[in-house]
Amino acid sequence: MMEIDESIEVWGKMGKRDGGNNLRPLIAKPLDRATLAIRLTLFVLAGMTTYTFLTLGSNGVNVAQATAETLSNFATMFLHPYSHHLTVWDAFYEVLITLGLAYLTTVLGGVLALFLGLMAAQNLAPKWLTNIIKSFVAVIRAVPTILWVLIFAVAAGLGSTAAVIGLTFHSVGYLTKAYSESFEDLDRSVIEALRATGANWWQVVFQAVIPSSATYLLSWTFLRFEINFGNAVAMGAAAGAAGIGFDLFMAGGYYFDLHEVGLITYLVLAFAIVMETAATYMKRRLQSGE
Amino acid sequence: MTLLELKNVTKHYSPAVAPALADISFSVNEGEFISVIGPSGSGKTTLLRTINRMVELSGGEITFAGVSISRLRKSELRKLRSKIGMIFQHYNLVDRMSVIENVLHGRLGHKSTLAGILGSYTLAEKEQALRIIQMLGLDEYINKRCDQLSGGQKQRVGIARALVQNPKLILCDEPIASLDPSSAKIIMDYLKNISRDLGITLLVSLHQVDIALKYSDRVIGVNRGTIVFDGKPDELTRERVSEIYGFDAGDLMINLGESEGYAS
Ligand SMILES: Nc1ncnc2c1ncn2[C@@H]1O[C@H](COP(=O)(O)OP(=O)(O)OP(=O)(O)O)[C@@H](O)[C@H]1O
Ligand SMILES: [Mg+2]
Repeated sequence: MMEIDESIEVWGKMGKRDGGNNLRPLIAKPLDRATLAIRLTLFVLAGMTTYTFLTLGSNGVNVAQATAETLSNFATMFLHPYSHHLTVWDAFYEVLITLGLAYLTTVLGGVLALFLGLMAAQNLAPKWLTNIIKSFVAVIRAVPTILWVLIFAVAAGLGSTAAVIGLTFHSVGYLTKAYSESFEDLDRSVIEALRATGANWWQVVFQAVIPSSATYLLSWTFLRFEINFGNAVAMGAAAGAAGIGFDLFMAGGYYFDLHEVGLITYLVLAFAIVMETAATYMKRRLQSGE
Repeated sequence: MTLLELKNVTKHYSPAVAPALADISFSVNEGEFISVIGPSGSGKTTLLRTINRMVELSGGEITFAGVSISRLRKSELRKLRSKIGMIFQHYNLVDRMSVIENVLHGRLGHKSTLAGILGSYTLAEKEQALRIIQMLGLDEYINKRCDQLSGGQKQRVGIARALVQNPKLILCDEPIASLDPSSAKIIMDYLKNISRDLGITLLVSLHQVDIALKYSDRVIGVNRGTIVFDGKPDELTRERVSEIYGFDAGDLMINLGESEGYAS
């Protein structure tokens, strides 16, 4: 008790002394460059938003009516899912194809990214190399997946080949960054300690770096798999790659069959939930396994 | 028998500043327990790290077990390092891995690249790791992750990782600088036993003069990259200590007479 009372008293004294002089500059934040930049950005964004709303052409759309019709379309889609062109099994099979596309591109991207990630990790590779790899994958990531698919479509033609290459390409960019940051979690001094026992680079990578970042690698890979599944659906629609996305495109944009769009959406949703559950389960297994 | 010999070793980190090591020469006999003392920045760490070429020399010559280390090829360098253990102030273990996995890392230098990558340790290697873990009193933590251990336990894992290498020499860079006095004593006692019972040569950099005096057969004092003292603990007088540290020994609160108090 004594000690506590004393310490409170000491704190009180310190507060009195500090509150007078030292704390004030902390409260009144000076206008430095970072704050200025943030304020300018917010100002510009606010201006742009206002301008957009003022110049938005509504072309005589009746907002109330449009909302009502949209909601009624949603009702058709999601309350009365039904298929005309596809049997449920066909649709299921098509989802599997999409899933295959996502799986293939994630695995290909993951393997390539594993090696690029090692070369981009600052604790494992010389600085010039990490800089080259990091800027290279930053460029890949900056361009959206669909654009990569369209770029590769120039050579491979619109279809599943372009979709696979484009999706893989973007996955490599994304996973290399994620992996290399997971690898960098292992301290440089730890790696030096292993090199000092005579271990070579490959042994250190496989016996220390990868095992100690395994859970991170797995979560990033699953996250990318989910992204790629979504992308693969979109690729089916936009790039003519096979799979459920193409059926979705046909049902929505060609047959105007909202019932079928609803059914397909539910199916994709069901698969996404199953995948998420499996990923969570595996991550938990891996963590408790240690 | 001479195990290690340094001849006119120098190290410049950059040409602009004074050398971290300037013309260092000494030789180490097999089985010796040598402490290296000196003020902060005097070059203790650099000295230890040149011996297993974690730091490259700028000049001079180091011979280990009859082999000149300065011009070794990659595979020969691995072989050299596999015979020299190293222990660190901050333990430098892989925190997310278990005690046994960390200890077995000490075998990697003896294995082929592929066997190391696959982590296929032989039965003999595993048994040896187990024996060493028991010797250091770590049996109950064997499958625990290293981030769940205390500092003293982590340092024992560090010692085990070095011992499993079957080293001729162990370099210890401030092995007890992050430990409380009782854990520090345990670690120093283990190091002493290793030197006495296993005949392994130890080169230990220390900040505590009294501990250096109590445990070692020989003390090397460095100051600004040069050796200013090299002799038996009982030759290290108060004047010599102040020469090493560049202070009056009294100012450093070092009581040479009371080093026994620590031991009891
Ligand atoms: N990697 C490095 N690059 C440049 N200079 C270095 C490097 N490492 C050490 N030095 C310099 O070399 C000198 C010796 O450093 P060293 O770390 O060997 O001293 P030390 O005796 O181990 O010190 P401490 O007791 O603080 O650990 C210091 O002047 C230091 O600034
Ligand atoms: Mg040091």
